[in-house]
Amino acid sequence: MSGNRDKAKAKRVVQEQLARERRRRVTLWTSLGVVVLLVVVGLIGWGVAASQESDKTAGLTTPSVAVDEGTAFAVGTGPVKIDIYEDFICPACGQFEAGAASTIDQLVATDKVTVQYHPIAILDRASSTEYSTRAAAASAAAAQGGKFAEYHKVLFANQPAEGSAGLDDAKLIELGKSVGLTDAAFADAIDKGTYKAWATKVTDTAGARGVNSTPTVMVGGKALESPTAQALIAAVGAAGA
Amino acid sequence: MEIGQSARTTSGWLWISTAARLGLAAVWLVAGGLKVGDLAASGRAVNAYDLFPYEVAKVIGAAQPFLEIALGLLLLAGLAVRLSAGISAGLLVIFIAGIISAWARGLQIDCGCFSTGGELGAGQTPQYTWDLVRDAGFLLLAGILLWRPRTRYSIDGVLMGEQ
Repeated sequence: MSGNRDKAKAKRVVQEQLARERRRRVTLWTSLGVVVLLVVVGLIGWGVAASQESDKTAGLTTPSVAVDEGTAFAVGTGPVKIDIYEDFICPACGQFEAGAASTIDQLVATDKVTVQYHPIAILDRASSTEYSTRAAAASAAAAQGGKFAEYHKVLFANQPAEGSAGLDDAKLIELGKSVGLTDAAFADAIDKGTYKAWATKVTDTAGARGVNSTPTVMVGGKALESPTAQALIAAVGAAGA
Repeated sequence: MEIGQSARTTSGWLWISTAARLGLAAVWLVAGGLKVGDLAASGRAVNAYDLFPYEVAKVIGAAQPFLEIALGLLLLAGLAVRLSAGISAGLLVIFIAGIISAWARGLQIDCGCFSTGGELGAGQTPQYTWDLVRDAGFLLLAGILLWRPRTRYSIDGVLMGEQ
């Protein structure tokens, strides 16, 4: 009797030990597997992003009229430098333009400021057709045709809503015609997406400069906390113009 | 009696842990899924915290959505639950620290937790308090799993020979 009980007990002890051993082994191997998996997955993410970026910047054509390391278009020749980073679909940019465009025109006309426009594309997901990139690229084509300021205005006057399809290429060409961009080169650049890689590069350069949102308005290199016409006038005044 | 009660407690925890596991899995899958479609934007969201050089922020932003989805799938399947919960907790602590640091420095950003984030436009206010409460809740889920990693319907259970 007592021998049997001892045997049963011994058997149970052995079984428990085997179960513990099994748990230990399973934990070890699954842990190792998971760590390797996570490292690989992280590297895949890096690789995917890098290849997406190189795809999007392949065949880069920098517009010859661009200033600031080829990332902006200058309007005006005044002493105080204003940098404006805008996305053509960004509603806050539309509001800024509606409120401050006439002020900017005046500052330019009285030769107080030079405005550098950086058309960046951070809101491609806000339209079904990557309107941000296409519009920024179209503005580069307009700049090559000598009509950046005019085209910039007409794009904001016709700003599509977030979540829409954006304006199609035909409409972008038509708007160009309305401001005098009637040559084939302009329409051709839009049809072929000549400056789309450039738009991606400008966006990336802006990111490297710490510009993560639009509109970002800098006067003399210093960002306005709240970009409005009043803030702009005050900052330009403080900068001595 | 005592044994019965302890068995009931164990079974109760088994279900609580299972719910925590699936909840945390959903959190990671949604968070990663919302970011994976635009890796460049995810990089910009990291960059908006102003903690890393842009090139480093881009790499973090690219890897993060994939890691989040992988963690979500691991938790969903119940594979290496304790380790996955530990890594989840570590990530959440980093995110919480990031949000506190952005708050302390007065940055006006979207945390980029469940979106591709970035700086906020004029007239938008950051939701730091809410972001922190939410992340603390997720951390609690991870904590439950760290403490009681055994759950129902898990690959761990199958491998251990429990089910």
